[in-house]
Amino acid sequence: MNKSYQAPADLGRIQYSAVGLGLLGLIGWIVGLLVSGHAREMFFHTYLVAYVFWVSVALGCLGWLMIQYLGGASWGLLIRRILESGASTLLPMAVLFVPVIVGIGDIYHWANPAGIESEEIRALVEKKTAWLNPSFFTARAVFYFVVLVLLATVLRRLSHRLDREGDPSVIQTAQNWSGPGFLLYGLVCTFASIDWVMSLEPEWFSSMFGLLSIAGSGVSSMALIISVSVVLAGREPMSGVIRPKHFHDLGKLLMALVCVWAYFSFSQLLIIWSGNLPEEIPWYIERFKGPWRYLGVALILLHFLLPFFLLLSRDLKKNARRLVLVAWLVIAMRFVDLFWVIVPSFDLDHHQVAKFSTWAIYIAATIGIGGVWLGWFFWQLRSHSLLPSNDPQIEEVLHAGGHGH
Amino acid sequence: MAEATKNKGYVDPRPPVIGPGYDFNSLTNKIADIVFMRHFQKGWLFGLAVAFLGALMLFNTIGYLVLKGVGIWGNSVPVGWAFDIINFVWWIGIGHAGTLISAVLLLLRQSWRNSINRFAEAMTLFAVACAGLFPALHTGRPWVDYWLFPYPNTMGMWPNFRSPLMWDVFAVSTYATVSALFWYIGLIPDLATMRDSAKEKWQRMIFGMLAMGWRGDARHWHRYESAYLLLAGLSTPLVLSVHSIVSFDFAVGIIPGWHTTVFPPYFVAGAIYAGFAMVLTIGIPVRKFYHLEDLITMRHIRNMSKVMLATGLIVGYGYLMELFISWYSGNTYEMFMMKNRMFGPYGYMYWLLILCNIIVPQVLWIKKYRENLKIVFLVSMFINVGMWLERFVIIVMSLNRDFLPSSWRMYKPTVFDFSMFFGTIGFFLTLMFLFIRFVPMIPIFEMKALLPQSKVEEKREEAVEGSLPGGVAPQFGD
Amino acid sequence: MNKQEEPTIYGVMARFDTPTEIVHAAKQVHAAGYRQVNAYSPFPIEELSEAIGFHKDRISLTVLAGGLSGAIGGFLLQYWTSAIDYPINVGGRPLLSLPSFVPIIFESGILLAAFGAVIGMIVMNGLPRPYHPVFNAPGFGRASRDRFFLCIKSTDPKFDGPATHEFLIGLGAKGVTDVEE
Repeated sequence: MNKSYQAPADLGRIQYSAVGLGLLGLIGWIVGLLVSGHAREMFFHTYLVAYVFWVSVALGCLGWLMIQYLGGASWGLLIRRILESGASTLLPMAVLFVPVIVGIGDIYHWANPAGIESEEIRALVEKKTAWLNPSFFTARAVFYFVVLVLLATVLRRLSHRLDREGDPSVIQTAQNWSGPGFLLYGLVCTFASIDWVMSLEPEWFSSMFGLLSIAGSGVSSMALIISVSVVLAGREPMSGVIRPKHFHDLGKLLMALVCVWAYFSFSQLLIIWSGNLPEEIPWYIERFKGPWRYLGVALILLHFLLPFFLLLSRDLKKNARRLVLVAWLVIAMRFVDLFWVIVPSFDLDHHQVAKFSTWAIYIAATIGIGGVWLGWFFWQLRSHSLLPSNDPQIEEVLHAGGHGH
Repeated sequence: MAEATKNKGYVDPRPPVIGPGYDFNSLTNKIADIVFMRHFQKGWLFGLAVAFLGALMLFNTIGYLVLKGVGIWGNSVPVGWAFDIINFVWWIGIGHAGTLISAVLLLLRQSWRNSINRFAEAMTLFAVACAGLFPALHTGRPWVDYWLFPYPNTMGMWPNFRSPLMWDVFAVSTYATVSALFWYIGLIPDLATMRDSAKEKWQRMIFGMLAMGWRGDARHWHRYESAYLLLAGLSTPLVLSVHSIVSFDFAVGIIPGWHTTVFPPYFVAGAIYAGFAMVLTIGIPVRKFYHLEDLITMRHIRNMSKVMLATGLIVGYGYLMELFISWYSGNTYEMFMMKNRMFGPYGYMYWLLILCNIIVPQVLWIKKYRENLKIVFLVSMFINVGMWLERFVIIVMSLNRDFLPSSWRMYKPTVFDFSMFFGTIGFFLTLMFLFIRFVPMIPIFEMKALLPQSKVEEKREEAVEGSLPGGVAPQFGD
Repeated sequence: MNKQEEPTIYGVMARFDTPTEIVHAAKQVHAAGYRQVNAYSPFPIEELSEAIGFHKDRISLTVLAGGLSGAIGGFLLQYWTSAIDYPINVGGRPLLSLPSFVPIIFESGILLAAFGAVIGMIVMNGLPRPYHPVFNAPGFGRASRDRFFLCIKSTDPKFDGPATHEFLIGLGAKGVTDVEE
């Protein structure tokens, strides 16, 4: 019964290749910045996109971790260690937030309201300086990370205590943390997304924005969870433990999240498009102009319609190899989504934006940060048993509904 | 805590959803006997009579309304939408819990739903019927309501499909239709059971006709289950879309207090919140009256309390976002709207709303209170009121302070506003009373599938299969 | 053997008391080569339809067809009425107001998909069918309550009145009777 679920040896190889790829991205990023001509500005812009992309995956893992405790379903137990490792990256991500603080002046217009050309917008932004000013921004970010890292650490510690001591009442404690924890998490994610992304255009606002970014991190983290589960399912000791039935469940969750993301995005678009108010609609006008238009259409087709119709198929969801392809598509589109939301806020001329070399720098930056993220993630994943084998539900999960051994 | 080692202190979080000691037969009788009872209980008759009085009040109000016009209500510029739309949204929201329980929980394989789903679906249908009355009558000339549908006509005109009110027509009628289909499909096997259990010929004929000749064929069950699951899969996005579209009625316009992007999910959460509160408001007394404690167990009450707590928090999130964004927008009108909402002439309604919807339900965090029927019932009542107030706050308070102070005006409901609102409650309860008496209110076949006897044991089978080639088959090889 | 009896006999019906018994009997009936077999139960038993060799239904196809035709129809209705038959400028919005059309496209898609599920199920199941020979089997009323029935139809090529009868008794059936047409 007490089979060991130690991570397979070649998970280390995957970790090193991820770090290696990250290094290549880093080199490409540096070269790209130097070639681009305005390295400082470009550094902060590309850094923000890359950072937000990865922090949102980490946030998604923390959210799923609490949801699986609250829901108590069997899929949660199988991916709990993946979620814990993903949430643990919030610690390095907190450190990696420092460059954003350093670059506030280069990233956010509100840091220097006097520099805003349009008089109307300047007047509007000046009204908001009580919220949007560098010191309060920094203080809030510190608060967010304290809360997030605390939640991630507490849940992780509890889970390891269950491994060590085998006292199942730990599950109850974890559930007690997860309820209020998720509430706090939702608020932190919301205000973090307003601070870090929405305030890039300080005159624009949408009360949906927080939910939209929570859904976004749910999508990308679920895609990552699926990818890692597929890797694990192909190797001992997890082969035979993670079965098609579980991929079916994870596939359904991915589909649900893709739909929720589409629902939030479309609702925001429809309400702003129909209202057609001068303080709201420019955000969309900008993003349906020039080269951005193609990305907008791509989001509808590839972030929603294609994954949706593919995931309708039950056979596909049960087939790990095909499911992982959809997961990768979704991860790629999540990057496009953030790119489409964030980059038009920077004052760039369309000529520059349309150049592939500009895009390539953003992609290289994301791969570079990804090396750090995945390196930490796999390190954490490898350092503990892949299954919480003292969980009282474990037998049920290992043997329920299927051939078992 | 140190000595609490292996499996001590761990309570199985999932007690049974069905009391002990039932078999297929006694379970059928338990539910079917309520329908086949020869007499009418006094309590039921009294309840029906009171509810029917309310329904009569509704019919009278409608009659007078059609005769005199919508002027009998308190609606007046700038408050063109008031009780009618508040009640519409309130009722539609209540209906949503039914679909949620029957569809979403089915998809999530939450088997505890099986004893309450039919009841909740009936609630959906009746709530949608009540909801539909309001916009239909609000048009002022209900006899030409068919103009809302796109049909070729001599005027050569078509409805304006860019209007959220048009979306509403499609959403609500689709919702009503699909809910009715879902309910009826769910009933078919039980109607067959009733047909086969009935003593009187006329009962057999009625149930027989409704059951369409269902005979429990294994192939039929297979298709039935697929269709039912797919209907659930369709109902889930449908229910989200309906209240989202209801929220578009407001959000797509540019009235401060209406035009905010968080409305769709926040309305949906509010709908589920109100709906679960209503399920509990009706479910707790019915459970006691018909002694259904074995079928609607404490686990149901607890789970529903948790859903209420969760959706209530999302609603609270919506209030917070409205508050924050109205300040963050820097828009004068948005800020004024918020100030007016909190400290304006109807300010007390806002704080009452916060009390009912946000403060009181927090007691559900405490496990002890989630298991106390009286407290859960009381909290549900608070939520019922709170969700009504929420719509009042959104609709009336955003309208009564127009962009121009010269057109500001207070809204005062008339006696007909109240008689119509309370009348629909009577109408709704009348339908509920009839339902619990004349239709099996708990799905018999789904409950059977939850009994331990319904599981096919595998071990026996293997042993017999092993003996098959040598033992039985050759005799018939021929 | 008794060939002249066959036209009046619908099949042979065997009664079982528990799901386990009928599933195991159904598996053996299937293994013995009978294909025109029906099973009846008061609630759905997944293993039972598997056991008589029924694995896949086609309800999802009718749903898909309904959903697609509803969505496309919903779009065409809105586009044709708003942009072609009676083009009218509403608040400066384009004649083809795609975002505004989405809600109705969605609703009509769902509506027809739901009809697809319901009508598909009813038609493929051959309902409504008030009269059916199996209702003649004694005690069949309990198929909707607490008993489980297995019926081998006389049209099955392997059907052979008394032998089939015997076979079913051998499987542990509680009562085996002929069902009249």
